[in-house]
Amino acid sequence: MLSFMLKRIAQLIPVFIGATLLVYFLVFATPGNPIDALSGGKPMSDATRSALEAQYNLDKPFWVQYGLYLKNLVTFDLGTSFSGQEVSALLGRAFPVTARLAILALLIEGVFGVIFGVIAGMRKGKWFDSTILVASLIVIAVPTFVLGFVLQFVIGVKLEWVKPTVSGAATWGELFLPALVLGLVSLAYVVRLTRTSVIENKSADFVRTATAKGLSRNRVVSVHILRNSLIPVVTFLGADLGSLMGGAIVTEGIFNVPGVGHLLYQAIQKGETPTVVAIVGVLVIIFVVANLIVDMLYALLDPRIRYA
Amino acid sequence: MPENQNFNPEDGLPISKVRAGKVSKYKIEHFVAPLDETPLQAVDSVKETGKPLSMWAEAWRSLRKQPLFIISAVLILAVIVVAAFPQLFSSQDPTYCALENSNEPGRAGHIMGFNLQGCDIYARVIYGTRASLLVGIFTTLIVVVVGGALGALAGFYGGWIDAILARLGDIFFALPLILGAIIVMQLPAFRDNRSVWTVIVTLAIFGWPQLARITRGAVIEARDADYVKASRALGLSRFHSLVKHVIPNSLAPIIVVATVNLGVYIVAEATLSFLGVGLPPDVMSWGNDISLAQQQLRSNPMMLMWPALFLSVTVLSFIMLGDAVRDALDPKARKGA
Repeated sequence: MLSFMLKRIAQLIPVFIGATLLVYFLVFATPGNPIDALSGGKPMSDATRSALEAQYNLDKPFWVQYGLYLKNLVTFDLGTSFSGQEVSALLGRAFPVTARLAILALLIEGVFGVIFGVIAGMRKGKWFDSTILVASLIVIAVPTFVLGFVLQFVIGVKLEWVKPTVSGAATWGELFLPALVLGLVSLAYVVRLTRTSVIENKSADFVRTATAKGLSRNRVVSVHILRNSLIPVVTFLGADLGSLMGGAIVTEGIFNVPGVGHLLYQAIQKGETPTVVAIVGVLVIIFVVANLIVDMLYALLDPRIRYA
Repeated sequence: MPENQNFNPEDGLPISKVRAGKVSKYKIEHFVAPLDETPLQAVDSVKETGKPLSMWAEAWRSLRKQPLFIISAVLILAVIVVAAFPQLFSSQDPTYCALENSNEPGRAGHIMGFNLQGCDIYARVIYGTRASLLVGIFTTLIVVVVGGALGALAGFYGGWIDAILARLGDIFFALPLILGAIIVMQLPAFRDNRSVWTVIVTLAIFGWPQLARITRGAVIEARDADYVKASRALGLSRFHSLVKHVIPNSLAPIIVVATVNLGVYIVAEATLSFLGVGLPPDVMSWGNDISLAQQQLRSNPMMLMWPALFLSVTVLSFIMLGDAVRDALDPKARKGA
């Protein structure tokens, strides 16, 4: 297990370097100067310009710039935004909010997705199964932001069950509706994935053996079928963290959640390139580490992976 | 005594009467089922002279009977016709907006009512079809050509091409589609030339690795098949057998994923437009209209519902089509159904 872990960690390093290099290259090596955005396109004295270029390392060759960026990223020295705030302080305030949002979304996806998927799979072809299949298709086809607006409008504004927007404190209760919206599309995928693999495993030999041994149906379903059906679901949830990050930009915008997505979107809108690159770098680290954890879980669930 | 319901192979008429007269007099015990009752007969009745159906013809035969396929194909055809000839479906000018009509509900000739600027919502939805569909179709085309070609090369030749592509794919996978697309669309080079084409290129940049990965898997599976070895033994060059035998036989999963992704790209375009970094505001598209409608959600929710409905039905059609094609192309799944 240890050598498997070390191998996986070693494989992550080139991915991390490549992804940050890609973003850095896209942002800084393409035509157009990020300093222009700071001045709002107005003329700027040469002295101011060169001072700013020195502050953001833009006067150095590309590889030196990138190396400094990587060093700052690893030491969590993310520089200052154009408005003079520490990016790490901004992130430090926004990150716990988005973490709560993402954990809630993953929980909703994982718990409801697996429960619905198992029931649908065990009752293939019955009304519950058909309803779930149709509902999941519709959820996948409707864009997240439309779902967000509709739920916000119906539950928040018309029915007044919850507050339509989130306050600065962003408590767990307030974040439930945004998390539901954020996780809904992935929930549909989890349901379909669980259903397919339950149907596949239902007729597997080890299930027949377990039933023949006289185990109760509950035990067969919860231990033999469920555990084996979880493998693709766990992989999906790990990769899904990436789409949750993209989705968070939309969801946090709709519900006014003061999280990382909101921060990133504002930085992009204002053209604050150094801030954008810093935040994206942190997100890439999180995503890559999350996938490492998923790999470990995967190996725990299915020992065959370790020896492959 | 089992009833005999056989048909004469020559004239197709029931022959039960003739046979029944012969056997019904005495009770005959069959220790082995008579030949005309065994399923073997069905197997034997296969025409051996006819040309065998190809995988595609076989799939087409089962697709034709699937309601899911028929519904989604009809819907997609309708969307394509609307995108190509919007003037056939709306006599109104979508760019003619009169403020006196602002947020007016529907009336004769304007069934869906008007938006804030007093433009006809129905006309805008109809004319907005083209941009959304263009993004979906061309992104899919680029992704299939680029991702498919790179994936096929990596899977077939292996070695260093495969290693480089695998790492490159990992790197792109570490950047989520929407996140990456927002960054690219904000680059000065893209921001200053925003059009349908920049959106297509951006989505394709982040879309190809997934298709390359799927193609690679399918090609590896087909690469080791006996018919490929046979083609090589018969003297076909490596590249020739890749193009002639391996690629046609690994197309099925590529077509399925590409069809479903076409819908995903349409949603991605709408999301980018909604965030204000997608299509420029002067291009009529569902995403832009939904984005405009969100500010009016409380006073005129239908302004959001109509483009959202059209968008969702289109995306749903592509997903259903992909599902139907997957069932038709996978004989294993077909048997179970």
